[in-house]
Amino acid sequence: MKWMQFLTPAKSMDFSQTKSYILQHPGEDITILDVRQPSEYQEGHIPGATLIPLPQLSDRINEIDPEKPTLIY
Amino acid sequence: MLAGKGFKKVFNVAGGITAWDAKTAIGPQDLGMDLFSGKEQPEDVLKIAYSLEQGLYDFYISMEKEAKHEKVKDLFARLSDIEVKHQMSIYLAYSDISDEEVDKEGFEKMVETKALEGGLSTKEYLDLFNPDLNSEIDVISLAMSIEAQALDLYQRVSIKIKNPGSKDIINKIANEEKVHLESLGKLMDSL
Repeated sequence: MKWMQFLTPAKSMDFSQTKSYILQHPGEDITILDVRQPSEYQEGHIPGATLIPLPQLSDRINEIDPEKPTLIY
Repeated sequence: MLAGKGFKKVFNVAGGITAWDAKTAIGPQDLGMDLFSGKEQPEDVLKIAYSLEQGLYDFYISMEKEAKHEKVKDLFARLSDIEVKHQMSIYLAYSDISDEEVDKEGFEKMVETKALEGGLSTKEYLDLFNPDLNSEIDVISLAMSIEAQALDLYQRVSIKIKNPGSKDIINKIANEEKVHLESLGKLMDSL
């Protein structure tokens, strides 16, 4: 089974790249998007992350600024 | 999902919060491919959608065999059952719009599997998401990520497709994926 057809073109960042990207960009210039369930968000999330659970994302996509770089997890 | 909706820069944090906590790293990936040209007739759209659902079904079945915990095995079995239902609704939609009568077996023979070639192997896909296959939460997260990609694919295709009948069908399948995704979210919350 091959999966490439399911994947949206998006670059991946590993942990250290993500951390340095966040440090280099002021909070208001980027969106950190947490798409997990609310209970998981409550247990721990990247500081400043906006919570929009994955099942709601397609309906709430206008809450995020498309002009800003978006880091999603 | 975001990349297809005008977002300029989207980065996937590989491994999600797990990577954040554990400080592990997975190499960068540049991925992307569309299966649909945008000129498909409704019948063609249904054939492609059927092959995608077959791919998901095969994936869940292979994961069911790989998982060791009974609860996780049951979960994969339930996920594969859902794909069978999706396939049935796609076949019924095809029967509705097709001029010639065709049984399910005949329809399956018409479905091209070449769409599933190329790209990431199942192992590579698992490496990318790095789930613990003995954890229900990880398995549901994996399923949600796959279903979200399928939803995203159908939504992007809907924008691309010109034929109104094809567009309606794709939107209906996308909505079913959304309901499926919501039910997985509820399942996650119930654990």
